[in-house]
Amino acid sequence: MTGMRGLSVFISDIRNCQNKEAERLRVDKELGNIRTCFKNEKVLTPYKKKKYVWKMLYIHMLGYDVDFGHMEAVSLISAPKYPEKQVGYIVTSCLLNENNDFLKLAINTVRNDIIGRNETFQCLALTLVGNIGGRDFSESLAPDVQKLLISSSCRPLVRKKAALCLLRLFRKNPDAVNVDGWADRMAQLLDERDIGVLTSSTSLLVALVSNNHEAYSSCLPKCVKILERLSRNQDVPQEYTYYGIPSPWLQVKAMRALQYFPTIEDPSTRKALFEVLQRILMGTDVVKNVNKNNASHAVLFEALSLVMHLDAEKEMMSQCVALLGKFISVREPNIRYLGLENMTRMLMITDVQDIIKKHQSQIITSLKDPDISIRRRALDLLYGMCDVSNAKDIVEELLQYLSTAEFSMREELSLKAAILAEKFAPDLSWYVDVILQLIDKAGDFVSDDIWFRVVQFVTNNEDLQPYAASKAREYLDKIAIHETMVKVSAYILGEYGHLLARQPGCSASELFNILHEKLPTVSTPTIPILLSTYAKLLMHTQPPDPELQKKIWAVFKKYESCIDVEIQQRAVEYFELSKKGAAFMDVLAEMPKFPERQSSLIKKAEDVEDTADQSAIKLRAQQQPSNALVLAEPQPVNGAPSPLKVPIVSGSTQDPDSVARSLSQPNGTIGNIDPQIPSPDLLSDLLGPLAIEAAPEAVSTDQHGPIGAEGVPEEVDGSAIVPVEEQTNSTELIGNIAERFHALCLKDSGVLYEDSHVQIGIKAEWRGHHGRLVLFMGNKNTSPLTSVQALILPPAHLKLDLSPVPDTIPPRAQVQSPLEVMNIRPSRDVAVLDFSYKFGTNMVNAKLRIPATLNKFLQPLQLTSEEFFPQWRALSGPPLKLQEVVRGVRPLALPEMANLFNSFHVTVCPGLDPNPNNLVASTTFYSESTGAMLCLARIETDPADRTQLRMTVGSGDPSLTFELKEFIKEQLITIPMGSRAIVPAAGSGPAQPVAQPPSPATLADDPGALLAGLL
Amino acid sequence: MIKAVMMMNTQGKPRLAKFYDYTPVEKQQELIRGVFSVLCSRPENVSNFLEIDSLFGPDSRLVYKHYATLYFVLVFDGSENELAMLDLIQVLVETLDKCFSNVCELDIVFNYSKMHAVLDEIVFGGQVLETSSAEVMKAVEEISKLEAASNSISLVPKSVSGWRGR
Repeated sequence: MTGMRGLSVFISDIRNCQNKEAERLRVDKELGNIRTCFKNEKVLTPYKKKKYVWKMLYIHMLGYDVDFGHMEAVSLISAPKYPEKQVGYIVTSCLLNENNDFLKLAINTVRNDIIGRNETFQCLALTLVGNIGGRDFSESLAPDVQKLLISSSCRPLVRKKAALCLLRLFRKNPDAVNVDGWADRMAQLLDERDIGVLTSSTSLLVALVSNNHEAYSSCLPKCVKILERLSRNQDVPQEYTYYGIPSPWLQVKAMRALQYFPTIEDPSTRKALFEVLQRILMGTDVVKNVNKNNASHAVLFEALSLVMHLDAEKEMMSQCVALLGKFISVREPNIRYLGLENMTRMLMITDVQDIIKKHQSQIITSLKDPDISIRRRALDLLYGMCDVSNAKDIVEELLQYLSTAEFSMREELSLKAAILAEKFAPDLSWYVDVILQLIDKAGDFVSDDIWFRVVQFVTNNEDLQPYAASKAREYLDKIAIHETMVKVSAYILGEYGHLLARQPGCSASELFNILHEKLPTVSTPTIPILLSTYAKLLMHTQPPDPELQKKIWAVFKKYESCIDVEIQQRAVEYFELSKKGAAFMDVLAEMPKFPERQSSLIKKAEDVEDTADQSAIKLRAQQQPSNALVLAEPQPVNGAPSPLKVPIVSGSTQDPDSVARSLSQPNGTIGNIDPQIPSPDLLSDLLGPLAIEAAPEAVSTDQHGPIGAEGVPEEVDGSAIVPVEEQTNSTELIGNIAERFHALCLKDSGVLYEDSHVQIGIKAEWRGHHGRLVLFMGNKNTSPLTSVQALILPPAHLKLDLSPVPDTIPPRAQVQSPLEVMNIRPSRDVAVLDFSYKFGTNMVNAKLRIPATLNKFLQPLQLTSEEFFPQWRALSGPPLKLQEVVRGVRPLALPEMANLFNSFHVTVCPGLDPNPNNLVASTTFYSESTGAMLCLARIETDPADRTQLRMTVGSGDPSLTFELKEFIKEQLITIPMGSRAIVPAAGSGPAQPVAQPPSPATLADDPGALLAGLL
Repeated sequence: MIKAVMMMNTQGKPRLAKFYDYTPVEKQQELIRGVFSVLCSRPENVSNFLEIDSLFGPDSRLVYKHYATLYFVLVFDGSENELAMLDLIQVLVETLDKCFSNVCELDIVFNYSKMHAVLDEIVFGGQVLETSSAEVMKAVEEISKLEAASNSISLVPKSVSGWRGR
């Protein structure tokens, strides 16, 4: 190893090479030399072989292919003497990969070295297998390596290598290692005294439990013991104490292993662990010595992740957040970096968000950190923590940062700013401001999607149009503006410039002049937009301004012979049309509103971040309901905006001749064009450049905020479907499926199902009788889930369409599967998702109810008394209006009950009923058969006995009335059966001291009539 | 799991590179160059972390330390603790320091084989094998002794075989 002169000489030669060419020559010469020597084996001494092999490795590192000597290298392994054997092993593990055929030839020799008595040979062999051993090795060597690992006669040096070698074999073939009794052996191994062996064994354990934690549950208390031993510094030799800290690596590994167990059930183990964690959290200070700092914080950050994983008591959690808050402002950059990263991770735990917000200003400061790594973390965190309350501050900071950020970050930054602005804008004019600033500051990094989106918003919101136009006009005064700015301002001014006509500098001819100044600076794709704008300006000038007309015609004339077909066509068409007077006005009328679409930005962001599973975007998508901007009233897309609006501004796909022909018809009214030109195509063509990915709308129709868990009725539904557990001895369910389902009935995003391998999240948007759900299926493992199947078992009243789910979910990946829902008629039945996958050899199957419940098709609606009573009276009685006395009601105070009703979109109308113990509520139900249908409800409670009430429900459809009544009842009572005593309303029965209005004088059969009488 | 260990000087010349997943030689060079181009633009007194998803794929992390004329780099996945990896670099450097008493770049250049021996005792198949530099030293010295012993023996057969060759 020392004093290999030939190698040193060669390295010096390489170092003396003046350039890459000289180096290549020297390397080629050496390779030639080595090749000749290897051919002439007789003169090749072991020393020479070793020297050449090291030269080969050095050459390999320099980046040259060494494609010979593989066979020789492998054959050296079987040499009887150490030096040759060593060389054989080293070169083989450096140059060959596990699929190399030569390697298979060596399995037997390697095995002989492993089972032999020579420890040095054992180490060499284990190192080879641990580095490049493949499946073949796994099958033939795993038992031998296991024997070495647990052997009491072996030195620690060998055993720790055996542990890691076994880890490699396990990765190649888990079954070879997971044999009967191995879990017990593993638990025994964790009692090991030698820290080196213990560290390797713990690494092995991490791999084993990440695959199947149940089998290794006996190792859990052992890990806690190890942590106790280290944290008390018991029996830790000096050489394993690193800057005063007992082996930080082992502490970290043991805590990592614990994070693969879903929970810790045994109370004494849990208590012991929490004591250790508490000591770590409290006892770590920032000190001067960098290395000591790093080591102690390695342990501390691992402890933080473990605390987050264990979902510890609130107190400990807030302690963690407080620590993180401290970290993000310390001087030590590594700790700042990890503090920010862990805060982003912590956002997943919902009730710490408010505490994190307290650190907002510090996080914003980190955006100006000299270290780009830290700035990126800060950006991720800001993006993750943004919501309606702080969007303005955060987005404005991002905009400010944009002008100084390095180029590599600008694209991400502008995309994130645009998304946040869209999702959380407190008002639309602010949104327009943000996007225009974005274009102004970083035009090169603003994709077309972003300006398309702003145009959509402006088009769909009339209030916004004058504002947007005046803003666009302001930017035109700047000396140099980005081409994207030219596009967006030209478009907006063309459409809405006339709204500014009375302001100085905004007359049509002034707008034309300032826009036309930009024309020489723009590229070909922008010119057609400018031409359209000119045409629109011309059209809006009433009475016509001959001066302006002359100028614009001159422009059209000029482009009539343009080589670009799109420009030429527009020029010709606009020129001809502008002579047509009234027809011109029709053709160039204002653009129709856009159908609502999913923001492609958000979609794009999801795509971009698809791979990084910690990405803030993904976290947000899963954790938070979309607060996306609500577009203007959903415009009933009648699909037929006057055909006259469309044909002329056609795209290049249009045959110019046909237009020219029709235009040249002598009396050709424009209407004649219609039959020749399929207008829907044109429409889409016209919208083409503005259309943003046709994926359905992500903008939520405001389903109210998420409803806290308190609002979830404790419904005990016998039909709760449980996963088929018998088959899944290695799969542990996390959380209660029924509870998750009930929570999701009242909110639109959250986790539907989770076990130790997979998490299924759901996000839903509802509009009328349509719903769009997205299932997020995430593989939590480091190995893929296979045979993934998701089938929908729909009830009769729902039409469901689930996009195909891939057969395999790669490790740590998430797949998304949209599910379209259509409600055909009222029913309380639910759809079931039959989900199954294979993990290792285990088949796991779960049948999950999909939260597409009746209430999702309700739209909140508040009525005044003038609206309510006529409707209420019009519903005369059964079957349209049903009444029932309900007993066994979960006792609720009236305001709580009102909240409950509001939470499933049956809006309580306060003040309608003069009796303060009663509630009156209304809602609109959507289904294909009923259309939008008004539903009314009245609840009369008895202040003396909160467990019973009288309920009256009415609607225009008998089945809807019945289903809604039953649905409300289910929400109100604790036990669905038992008290289904349906007592006809009137006070005939003796057992009815219930919800009688307090004033007996006004007792009437129909509470509606009663109500009406009172008012 | 540790994906790669790299040492390179401040000019970007690789001094040691070991990849624990099979990586073809061209790819190795590309990665080394990619890492260097980011490293060399980093100022002093910033964090030791780099985001390198673009080079090594998602969920990969990189820590590095800069000593005199050398960068020590570890690339690993999400299953490792970042700061613990940084500590491991420190262990590696302290061990080298003991091996060569005040290690400098030239030691590393000319003791290429010894570097491998040290590294192999610290990182094994992408996993942390040993964290005590005393233990690492012991193991490396054992190997040196074995080699020295066999070298002196091999001198004899060498001359003998040389004789016979003639």
